[in-house]
Amino acid sequence: MKPSPAARALRTIVIVVIAAWSLGPVAIGVLTSISSQNDVQAVPARWWPHQLNLDAYRAIVGGVHSAGTVAGCVGCNTAADASAFGQSLLSSVEVTAEATLATLLVSVVAGYALSRLRFRGGKVLLWAVVGTLVIPLFTLVVALFRMMVELHLINTQLGLVLVYLSAEAPLAMWLLYNHCRDLPPEPEEAALMDGCTRWQAFRMVVLPQMRSGIAALAAIVMLLTYGQFLIPLLLGSTPSTTPVTVLITEFVGKYTTNYPILAAAGVIAVLPPAIIALLLNRHIRGMLSGATG
Amino acid sequence: MPSVALKEPQAGQSGARWPARSGLWGATAAREEARLGRWLVLPVAAVTVALVIYPLVLGFETSLYAAGSTLSARGNFVGAGNYAEVIKDPATISAALHTLEYVGICLVLQLAGGLVTAVALRRAFRGRGLMFGVLIMPWALPSVVSGVLWRRFFAPDNGLLNSLLLHLHLIHNAQVWMATGWAIPWIAVVHVWGTLPLITLILLAGLQSIPDEVYSASAVDGATPARQFWHITLPLLRPALVVAAIIGLVDAVTIFDEIYVLNGIALNTSSVVMQVYNLIFVQADFPHGIAFAFLIAAFSALLAVVALIAARLRRTA
Repeated sequence: MKPSPAARALRTIVIVVIAAWSLGPVAIGVLTSISSQNDVQAVPARWWPHQLNLDAYRAIVGGVHSAGTVAGCVGCNTAADASAFGQSLLSSVEVTAEATLATLLVSVVAGYALSRLRFRGGKVLLWAVVGTLVIPLFTLVVALFRMMVELHLINTQLGLVLVYLSAEAPLAMWLLYNHCRDLPPEPEEAALMDGCTRWQAFRMVVLPQMRSGIAALAAIVMLLTYGQFLIPLLLGSTPSTTPVTVLITEFVGKYTTNYPILAAAGVIAVLPPAIIALLLNRHIRGMLSGATG
Repeated sequence: MPSVALKEPQAGQSGARWPARSGLWGATAAREEARLGRWLVLPVAAVTVALVIYPLVLGFETSLYAAGSTLSARGNFVGAGNYAEVIKDPATISAALHTLEYVGICLVLQLAGGLVTAVALRRAFRGRGLMFGVLIMPWALPSVVSGVLWRRFFAPDNGLLNSLLLHLHLIHNAQVWMATGWAIPWIAVVHVWGTLPLITLILLAGLQSIPDEVYSASAVDGATPARQFWHITLPLLRPALVVAAIIGLVDAVTIFDEIYVLNGIALNTSSVVMQVYNLIFVQADFPHGIAFAFLIAAFSALLAVVALIAARLRRTA
């Protein structure tokens, strides 16, 4: 069926509006980050900066600023803040990589086993683990905090990784269980007929089949982990366990009205997830909508 | 960033496809299969028990005792006393009413916006792949950071929203948005910004499962696009709409990050999770904080179950 010209025009308008809505805040963030404090404080506001001004990036990355004091922030130490910002980005990336790897290791084998292997208790376990998805993380934070103190894992990346693993492995396992069940079973059957053990068949046949699913899941787990806020706010207060999400809220308290510096920090902080979303959007989309099918 | 959606289970598929094996060899193979299966699920089971079930029980226990003299000590057993006190607390009631407002606004905006977006993106067009990349961007970004990017928009005096509305003569004085009755609607808008992509993808998957023939057949019968939308799209989309509504609902009930970044712990925008944060982190009142957290968790699980049952009843009726 061919849509009428009016319908097509309407659709184009809707698509332009969606694109503007999706990118608008990011675009405003970028524009704000290259504005001077004068542009930002002008009345009425200047959406478009008078001239390119990279002071905010110089402050947040290099720890330098042209004026003696940072506007909107008396007694701020930009050098210390810049180094804390760099450290928090590094910490976010490290913890995200570690947690994603751990989640994948645990959930790939479990998702495969629950969808393809017959053993007593498998179904019960599947529903018990998936059932934990209805438990919001904030009901667990106090107990987790106490456990981590007792285990001396407070303020360690290992502690954070373990908590993220417990929060994300059930979801990852569930998505991979569905993914694995939807894959054609014939290759594995053939491998078994040819004399492979189940483990060999998994490693050499099923695992390669699951590659695109694993890539999609890795992207989703990375995005979820990178965005964690409440857990690291509680479980980490050292530089190596303060992710950029937590640090940026500290900046909000410090640089209240210095929008260029806040925006520059925000723009840098969204770069890693934005790149993942753009590069892997096809995989992510398939996994998300497939998950709701 | 919001949570991820779940598919409804399909029973009786796992492990059923294998050729029947008989005799000694079959029994050995079945034993090997079962042993491997147990080993492979052991890590996920251990993690779930140690880091979800155990802290859940530990937290529940804490919620039954009065606060102790130190943070790690606990006071007398009070049973459901903490729960009763939380329910009667005026701060709870105002947070609950605010949350109701967040949920209402979010649900309407998400479902309406998601439906329009999904319909617009349903059929292929040039650049649709790129458009999807743009579409999921807000979902992919950490909600705390999104909130920071939105802050200048709502700034008092010369914020972008004030400038825009003054320019359009919709307001006469610059507003301190986060101190007015508009604070909750605007925070809800920022929340919807982050969750709309997921809702759209769910509805889009539902739309794409409706066969094209239904539309072409009804067009032959003279149905207008508007009638097609009301009489074909909406009824057939109902399962996807229910899933999207439940996900949007649970997500909005637990709104926190956007409030924290845009208005801190201010009382006029406090949500139920913000009140939990306030009890636990600010007042260090663990028993009441955990009791409240359990109440929210139970309530949102109940809502989801009721919505699912209602959807199923209507489908069979």
